[in-house]
Amino acid sequence: MQQTQTVVMLCQDASDRGLWESSMEKVPELFSIAVDGDLTHALELLRRAGATLRLVILSSRLYPVQHPELARLIRAACPQSELLLVSCSGAPSPPLMPLFADNVRHLAISPPGSGRSDREELSAAIEMLVARRPWEINSCLKQGTPIHSFQLHSTEDKEPLIGALEAVLEGEGEEYELLRQKGALLADELLENALYDAPRGAHGGKLFKKGEPRVMLPGERIVFSFGFDGVTLALKLTDNWGSLEPDLVIEFLARNQEAGSHSDDEGGRGLFIIWRFLDQFHVNVHPGQKTAVGGHLQLFSGLPPEAPRGFHITEHQIGEAA
Amino acid sequence: MNCQSTEGFDYFALEGNIDAQSEKYFKDLPARVRCSQVRFNFSKTGRVNSMGIALLLRCFKDIREAKKAEILLEGLTPMHTMLFKMTGVFLLATPFVSQGSGKGGVA
Repeated sequence: MQQTQTVVMLCQDASDRGLWESSMEKVPELFSIAVDGDLTHALELLRRAGATLRLVILSSRLYPVQHPELARLIRAACPQSELLLVSCSGAPSPPLMPLFADNVRHLAISPPGSGRSDREELSAAIEMLVARRPWEINSCLKQGTPIHSFQLHSTEDKEPLIGALEAVLEGEGEEYELLRQKGALLADELLENALYDAPRGAHGGKLFKKGEPRVMLPGERIVFSFGFDGVTLALKLTDNWGSLEPDLVIEFLARNQEAGSHSDDEGGRGLFIIWRFLDQFHVNVHPGQKTAVGGHLQLFSGLPPEAPRGFHITEHQIGEAA
Repeated sequence: MNCQSTEGFDYFALEGNIDAQSEKYFKDLPARVRCSQVRFNFSKTGRVNSMGIALLLRCFKDIREAKKAEILLEGLTPMHTMLFKMTGVFLLATPFVSQGSGKGGVA
């Protein structure tokens, strides 16, 4: 391992490492450590590289089920690094409650036998985390793809915006029809979140009831953007409330994912639906200044509908530029 | 939205989007159930958002608890099926292909 290593992957053993080899081949200067039953040695290697490490990638064969304490131990060894959990869509879904408890805010789901586009997607996500760069709507679209952006003036804008999105997803066949329906639902949930969940009063209470017609408040800015390059649809919703709490997002995803949950008042169901219909889900929060929620999905998604999706939830410090 | 009761079951055909605007309809619906089986037809239903899911879950729970009735869902699109599977709707109601569609039986 180099003295200036920035990305390290922890795998369970050689077979686990082999599973990820092709997915990780585009990640520059990746060093992987096979734990092989000796966690103390693996942590010592991490500690030596701790000063420069920006990202530790963890195989779901190691965490959270096999070594529930691993995230805490890695944080102690390399306090500056982000943690990214990687899991195959063919493997059992990792439980999210430990991620919530350990403040692990990055999960990537990769189909077994990943194709080229999946490798590039994973590599792009890793590069973004190493550079501490927030996700941008055009980062997963072909160069030159037009991005359509609309600033909302009132709740009356919602349906015309969803119609505009559906019009961009032109094409015949079941796949296109499904993409239009997914896109419309995603837009609906993103807009509802920004219109009714984001606006908060001085004591944190919601200012508006769902479904209530309203116009934007003075200074309030909600912008809905989307782009489609013929294969990938990317969507992004920004508001200038910055009221979404990253820990709460993971808690919502975890609670809604729990098997058998059919509570009619489960909080955050909208965010859960957004997560499960996107291939990758991104949340970027500047507290009190700005929240951006979005992600992308593919026309021919390699992920089965029931499989969990990846997420990246980033929180910036108060005072950082939004 | 249309509703009718036959000898064996209550039948509700849902139309349009199901969202916060549908609250009153679903709040009043359980009181209209008379039979031990209730069928909901979704073939003319559009988007069902998270608020719509919450209303369906509340309504189906009331029907099962207060009326002890079985709930069947027909006319589902692949999108409805995906959504209902991931949000627990199918834990309270069963997807069903009606005789009229030529594919008789429970899906």
